[in-house]
Amino acid sequence: MKRFLKVVGIEIKLSARDFSTLFFALVFPVMMLLLFGTMYGNEPTGFNGGFGSVDVSMPGYICMIISVTGFMSLPLTLAQYRERKILKRFMITPVKPLEVLLSQLIVNLITTLAGMIILFVVGKIVFDIHFFGSIFQSILAFFLILLSIFSIGLFIASVSKNAKTANAIAYIIYFPMLFLSGVSIPLQIMPKAVISISKFLPLTYAVELMRGIWLGGNLGDYTSQILILSAITIVFTGLSVKLFKWE
Amino acid sequence: MNVIEVSGLTKQYRSILAVDDISFTVEEGTIFGMLGPNGAGKSTTIECIIGLKKRNNGLVDVLGLDPAVDNEKLYNIIGVQLQETSYQDKIKVYELCDLFKTMYDTPTDYIKLLERFELSDRVKSYVSELSGGQKQKIAIVLALIANPKIVFLDELTTGLDPNARRDMWQCIKELKDEGRTVFMTTHYMEEAAFLCDKICIIHDGKIIAMDTVDGVVENSDIDMEVTFESKKDVTELLKKIKNINNIVKNNESYTVYFKDEEVIGEIILVLKDNNISFKKLNINRPNLEDVYLKLTGTKWKEID
Repeated sequence: MKRFLKVVGIEIKLSARDFSTLFFALVFPVMMLLLFGTMYGNEPTGFNGGFGSVDVSMPGYICMIISVTGFMSLPLTLAQYRERKILKRFMITPVKPLEVLLSQLIVNLITTLAGMIILFVVGKIVFDIHFFGSIFQSILAFFLILLSIFSIGLFIASVSKNAKTANAIAYIIYFPMLFLSGVSIPLQIMPKAVISISKFLPLTYAVELMRGIWLGGNLGDYTSQILILSAITIVFTGLSVKLFKWE
Repeated sequence: MNVIEVSGLTKQYRSILAVDDISFTVEEGTIFGMLGPNGAGKSTTIECIIGLKKRNNGLVDVLGLDPAVDNEKLYNIIGVQLQETSYQDKIKVYELCDLFKTMYDTPTDYIKLLERFELSDRVKSYVSELSGGQKQKIAIVLALIANPKIVFLDELTTGLDPNARRDMWQCIKELKDEGRTVFMTTHYMEEAAFLCDKICIIHDGKIIAMDTVDGVVENSDIDMEVTFESKKDVTELLKKIKNINNIVKNNESYTVYFKDEEVIGEIILVLKDNNISFKKLNINRPNLEDVYLKLTGTKWKEID
C-alpha cells in the first residue's frame, strides 16, 4: 500500500508539471465559465426552463473536465509510458503492472476533482451558482460518467501504437465533442443536423444525466442515459482488457 | 556455482523462431557476454531469463527460481537495465530513485549509489536533461537499488561516445569486483574482450560459439597475417617457406596468411638473407571481431 501511494504521489507531481493537463483540466473550463457567464449572466430565464444560464452550464463544464482527463491525459500518458518502455521497466520490479494502470486512473480522478473544485469556487464567487439536486445521486452520476469516459480513454490507449497516435485520436474525439454534445454550447440553439450527430456522442448522455441531476432530477428519470453510459463502460473496458498491450 | 542455468530455451513469435534451443550456464561472480547482430535473439533471451516473456520450451533457473513462475520473487534479487528505456517527462533524478526504492523489500541507499556514479550534483535535475552516459548510469543505479545478486545489462553502451563507454566499462568491472554476476549483451567486440569472462555468440537464435574470449579466438580457424611493403618481387622467395596458406601481392604490398607462429620469423629471415629491404611490417593476429564477422557471416574478406 505504501508502495502504491508512492507511485500515485509521484505521478501526481508529474501531472502537476504538465502544462497541457493543467491548462485544459484546470484553466480552460473556468475560462469558458467566465466567458459565457459574463455573456448571459446567471438570472433565471425562460430559455433555460427557469434556471440561471450558469447553473445550467455547470454540469457541462464538469463533463468537459472529465473529458480532458479521460480522453486526453489518461490515454496520452499510458501510450507514452508504453512507447518509452516505462511500463516494461515497471514490470521487472516487484510492482504489478496493474498498480501502474490504477495509479493513472487515480491521478486523473484527482485532477478531475481539482478542476471541479476550482470551477465551483470561481462559479460561486463570480456568479453565485446554485445546486438543486441530491448530492448522493450526483456523486453516483459523476462516477458513472467518469467510468464511461475513462473506459473510452483506456480504449484509445489500447489501440494507439504510440503517443503521437493517441494524441491525434484524443484531439479528434475531444474537440468535436466539446461543441457537439452540449458541453459548452446548449444543444437547443444548434441546427437539427448537429442534434442528430450529438445522439452518437457518449458525452451528450453524460451532460444530459449530470444536468438533470444537478437541476433537481432523480436518477430514475434518466434510465436511458444511465443504460447507455453503463453499456459504454462495459464494452470499452472489455475491449481495453482484450487489446491493451504493456509493450 | 552457477547462478543462471538455461537449457533448451526456445522462444517463438508467430512464425519467427527468435531463440532456437539454446543452453548455457553463468557462474557466480563472473561477467557473461552475449554477442550477436541486431535481431539475433539477445534481448529475447534476456527477457525470457528474467520472466518478462514466456518461453515456449526449455528450462531456465535463475538463483534457484524459475522466472516463468516466481518472477516477482526474482525481481527483488536481480537488477535489470533494459534497452532503450526512457523515463517519465519531467521526473527528477531523486524522484525516480525514490520511486524505485519504495518498490523493493530490501533497497540500498541510492544517495551512495549516485555518489559512486558521479551523479550527486544532478540529484535535482530532470532525468531528460542528463547526457547519454549519465542516463545509462541512472539505469545502472536503478538496477542496483534492489541490491541484486545478478545484474542484466542489455546493450548498455550502445550510442555512447568512446569516453563514456570506457567509463561504463569501469562501472561494470566494479559490479564484478563487488561479487555480483553480470549478464550483458553488446555489439562491441573490444568491450566483450575487455570485460567478459565468458562469451557466447548468437546468430539467428542459435549459439554458434561459446567459450572465454581467447578460447573462441583460438578455435576460430582464422589465419594470422604478416603484411609488409617491398620494391622487389619476393613472391617466389616467400613460396619456399613451409606452412604458408596464401600470399597476396598488391603492387608493392604483400600479405602472407598462415597459422603457425614460426612463420613470422622465417619471413623476416628470408627477407634479411636475401638483402631485401622492406618497410611497414605488421603482424595481425585474429581478434574477436574477426571471429565474430566470420561466424555471423557479415563482411568476411575472402582468402584465396
